[in-house]
Amino acid sequence: MNIVVCVKHIPDPNLPAEMDGKTLKREGVQGVMDPGDEFGVEAGLQIKERLATGDGESGEGEVTLVSMGPAAAMEAVRRGLSMGADKGVLVSDDVLKGSDALATAKVLSAAIQKNGAFDLVIAGVESTDGYTGTLPGTLAEFLGVPHVSTVKEIVSADGGTLKVNRQTADGYHVVEVGLPAVISVTAGVNEPRYASFKGIMAAKKKPVEQLSLSDLDLSGDDVAVKQEVTELSKAEEREGGEIIEDDGSAAAKIADFLKEAKVI
Amino acid sequence: MDFVVQDEYAELQRNITDYIERELRPLEAELDPEKDDVPIELRDKVRRRSAEFGFYAADFPEDLGGSGLPQLGMVLLREAAARTGCRLAGFTVYGPEGPTGVLLAGTDEQKKKYLTPLITAEKSMCFALTEPDAGSDAQNIKTTAVKDGDSWVLNGTKHFITNGKHADFALVFAVTDKELKGSGGITAFIVESSTPGFEVGRGQIGMLEGEGQFELIFRNCRVSEDQILGGPENLGMGFYAAMQFLAMGRLSIAAMCNGIADYCVKLGIDYAKERQAFGRPIGKNQYVQGHIVDSLVELKASKLITYECADKYDHGDAVIQESSMAKLYSTEMVNRVVDRMIQVHGGMGWMRELPLERIYRLVRIFTLVEGTSEIQKYIIAKSVGL
Repeated sequence: MNIVVCVKHIPDPNLPAEMDGKTLKREGVQGVMDPGDEFGVEAGLQIKERLATGDGESGEGEVTLVSMGPAAAMEAVRRGLSMGADKGVLVSDDVLKGSDALATAKVLSAAIQKNGAFDLVIAGVESTDGYTGTLPGTLAEFLGVPHVSTVKEIVSADGGTLKVNRQTADGYHVVEVGLPAVISVTAGVNEPRYASFKGIMAAKKKPVEQLSLSDLDLSGDDVAVKQEVTELSKAEEREGGEIIEDDGSAAAKIADFLKEAKVI
Repeated sequence: MDFVVQDEYAELQRNITDYIERELRPLEAELDPEKDDVPIELRDKVRRRSAEFGFYAADFPEDLGGSGLPQLGMVLLREAAARTGCRLAGFTVYGPEGPTGVLLAGTDEQKKKYLTPLITAEKSMCFALTEPDAGSDAQNIKTTAVKDGDSWVLNGTKHFITNGKHADFALVFAVTDKELKGSGGITAFIVESSTPGFEVGRGQIGMLEGEGQFELIFRNCRVSEDQILGGPENLGMGFYAAMQFLAMGRLSIAAMCNGIADYCVKLGIDYAKERQAFGRPIGKNQYVQGHIVDSLVELKASKLITYECADKYDHGDAVIQESSMAKLYSTEMVNRVVDRMIQVHGGMGWMRELPLERIYRLVRIFTLVEGTSEIQKYIIAKSVGL
C-alpha cells in the first residue's frame, strides 16, 4: 500500500509566536514538525507495518511524506523520515510564501499526483499554526477521492478498503471507505514514536525530492492568494476563576456552580 | 576541533526531552513529591518504554539490540534527560541495573543470553564487586570461587549492591587465585539470582529514602564454568574486563551531573529573576549573581571536559586520565552548584516543596561511586608518572 502523509513545518508552538506583518514569521525562527502531523506519520507507519506482518496482503508499499514550505521545512520531512517513513517530497518556492489553505491544497495535490499512484493520504485534522482545518477536505477534492475527517482509530486497512472510527460530538462513527482516500487523524489516533539514533542515521540516506512550482506545472496565478487577513487581534486573556472561601457552605456552592454549568 | 553539536545528536536530545515531557511528566505527577521512593514497577515500565524507543542503551552495538550510538551522543543524551529535572528521567537511560560494558567481554552466547535482555530492559542485573572490606581497594576482595569438578563454588559477602534485590543475575567478582589477586587472580562470574546459595541480605538505606543498596551473600553457590565471563579461558581476567569499560561508567556519571547542574542553575536563574527583596529581584544583587555565575562557568567547563573525553573515546583513545578528570570535576561541580542554588532560593531551597533538597542528597553519592574523588585524583596523578 502506498501511503502519503502530509507534514508541515511550523514555528515551535511552545515559543511565543512572532509575526511578519499579518502572517506568522516562518523564517529565522525555531521550527518543528507540526506536533499534529506526528500522529499522521505514526498512522502511516502503523498501517504499513501491520500489512507487512499481518494477514493476507503483502507489506509492499511505501510511506511518503509530502510537505510544502521554505527550505527549513526539510527539518520536518527529516523528522518523519527518522520516525521511519521511506521518502519525502518537499515543494519549496518563493512564490508560495504567504499561501492560503486553498493554494496549499492545490500544491500538495499536484505533488502527490506527481509522486505516483497512492492508496491513502493522511493529514492531521488541522495545523497547529493556521488552524483552518480545511486542508484535508480540499485536498481530497483536488485528488478526486473521498475524505474521512477526524479519524480517531484505524480499525483495519486491507483489500482496498479502510475501516476507521470517526470522532463525533457524541461518540464515533464506524466508517468504511474504498481506497484511494484522504483521511485526517486526531491526536488520539495513536502514540507517535520517537526517532531513535538508528532512525535518525537511516533518515540521512533516504531520498527527498525537492520541487519548485514549475516542476508541478503550476504557475503563480494558480496559487495566488484568494483570502486576506484584514485584522489581527490578541486572544482575550482568560478571566481569573472564582475563589470560594469555605465557611461551611463551599461544597453546596460548588455543586450549584456545576449544576449551572450542566456538568451534574 | 568542532564545538557544534551534530544534527543527529541534537535531534536525539530533542526526542528524549519530548518523550520525557509528554510521557513521563504525567507519571511523575503521580509520585509523592515529598518522598524519594519510585516504585520498582514504575522504574521498570519506564526502562522498557525507553528501550522501545531506542534511548535506554543506545550506545550498545546494533547486533545486540542497541543503536551503536557513539559515547559523545550518549553523553549528550544522558545530559538532556537529566536536564529535564524529571524524577523518572534517570530511568530512560541505563544505570547500574542495566547493561554494563563489562559484559561485552562475554562470549557470543553470554552476550546473547545476558546482555541483549538488559539492552532491551526486559531484565536487570547488578554489579557485585564491592565488599565490606574492599571498596576503593577492590583488588582486596575476599569472596572466593573454588573449582570443584566442572563447576565453581562461590562463598563471600558483597555489599552496597544497587538493584541487588531485583536483579535477574549478578556479575560477581571472586578471587580464584589468592596469590595473583588483581593481576590474574580475580574472575568475573555471571550468577543467576535463582542459583541455590545466592542470597539477598539486608537492604542498606542511603541518604535517599527507598530501597537503596543490598547485601548479597554467596553460600556454596555453585555455577558451571560456562558462567565465567568470557568463558573458562578468561579465568582470572575479571579485573581486566572491568577496567576496560571504566570510562563508560565514569562518562555516564559526568553526563548526568552536567544535566542535573543545568536543571538546578535554571531553577536558580528563574528564582533570582522572580523573587523580590528590598524592592527588586534578588538577581540584581551581586552576591546572588556570584552564585549563579560561578555555577555557569564551572558547568561549562565540566561539559567541555566531558565532551572532549567522550569524543576521544569514540576515536579509540583509552581516556584513562580524561575520564577520571571528567568524573572528578563534574561530580564535585554538581555538589557545589546544587549547594549554591539552595542558597539562592534562601529558606525555600531547604524545603521539600522544591526539588533542590532531594537533589542535594542525590548528588552527594556521585563523588563516592564509580571511584571516589580521591581515587580519581590518584589515577590522574599516576597518569603523569607520580
